Amino acid sequence: MITLLLRLYPALWRARYGDEFAAVLEERTLGPFDVADVLLGALDAHLHLRGLGAASEHRKGFAMSLKIGGYAAIAGGIFWLLALAGNAINDGGESFSPWLGYAIVGATVMTLVALIGLSAFQARSHPALTWAAFAIPAIGAVVGLFGYAAIVATGDSDTTLIAGISPWMIGSIGLLTMVLGSTLFAVATWRARSLSRTASGLLAVGALLVVLALFGASGALPSPIAIVPIVGAILAFPAGWIAMGVSALRVDRVGAARLEGAAS
Amino acid sequence: MTSPIPELGRFAEPALLILVSLSDGPKHGYAIMTDVEAGTGRPMGPGTLYAALARLEERGLIEALRPVDRRRPYRLTAVGAGVLAEQLRDLAAFAELGLKRLGRSPG
Repeated sequence: MITLLLRLYPALWRARYGDEFAAVLEERTLGPFDVADVLLGALDAHLHLRGLGAASEHRKGFAMSLKIGGYAAIAGGIFWLLALAGNAINDGGESFSPWLGYAIVGATVMTLVALIGLSAFQARSHPALTWAAFAIPAIGAVVGLFGYAAIVATGDSDTTLIAGISPWMIGSIGLLTMVLGSTLFAVATWRARSLSRTASGLLAVGALLVVLALFGASGALPSPIAIVPIVGAILAFPAGWIAMGVSALRVDRVGAARLEGAAS
Repeated sequence: MTSPIPELGRFAEPALLILVSLSDGPKHGYAIMTDVEAGTGRPMGPGTLYAALARLEERGLIEALRPVDRRRPYRLTAVGAGVLAEQLRDLAAFAELGLKRLGRSPG
């Protein structure tokens, strides 16, 4: 993987920094955050350097940060609120509307960005758990988006698509992988203590309630009881992601304050 | 407050963190990353580190030393130390102004 990441950089850059950069990557337990940061760094090297020594006025740059993860988690939480509430009103896909599709796509994309941006410290102590928390929903997102695209294309969420499976069921598989990824991320964060444990707990409870809500909506629970996990999921799962995002932005601000404190 | 470490755009803050890390002596890339993370509590990715190192070296604020086992240490140049000191004084003055307006004493 390190060789592959290095090859993304310009040859001139590799000639100057390649050896020492490879040594840093070997020494570091790489997580989704680091890999995304290296990908953005390679893009920056292509745009910025074009040749070492040629001082560029290129002022913008690309870097992964806790702040990006924090904002993505908050945006994801808002999208999840719209998606879960919309789905409940929609009665489990009986009449799929485009805005619900946009909310699901928004929630999926933002959650994946958050899983990358907030995973830096968890990956050092729990690399397998952190990679699984990102990889499972990433694969599920592709599957899920295929299902939702099929709903939009066919205009029917219950039509048989593949082997008796409806687009809505494919979309739901994507949703479940996002929930599973969120749970794994909550566990990794709880164990690493890198962000708020309250937020981790809320996210884990919210994820459990989403599963219970899907279970209840399938008719496994009598209707007066089934509403409880549905309402709980609509509130707790988005709240968990928003709390995680706020916690990340707080850590980021404390870092900035420490920097300014060191200067005074 | 003057602009932080001129012409570094998005990398001005990582660059400042790197300069502070090198202010007590030369360090190689991995040591800079761990030092910055320990000091700020915020992660610094390897891509960001080397994007900022390249810019700092290009502007003569740091210089590379002879590598030891593929790890190349960097140290502040005299120009880099001057720019860092100026930047930190600006930050201190800005922090003091903010605290004064809040009615709180510095430190």
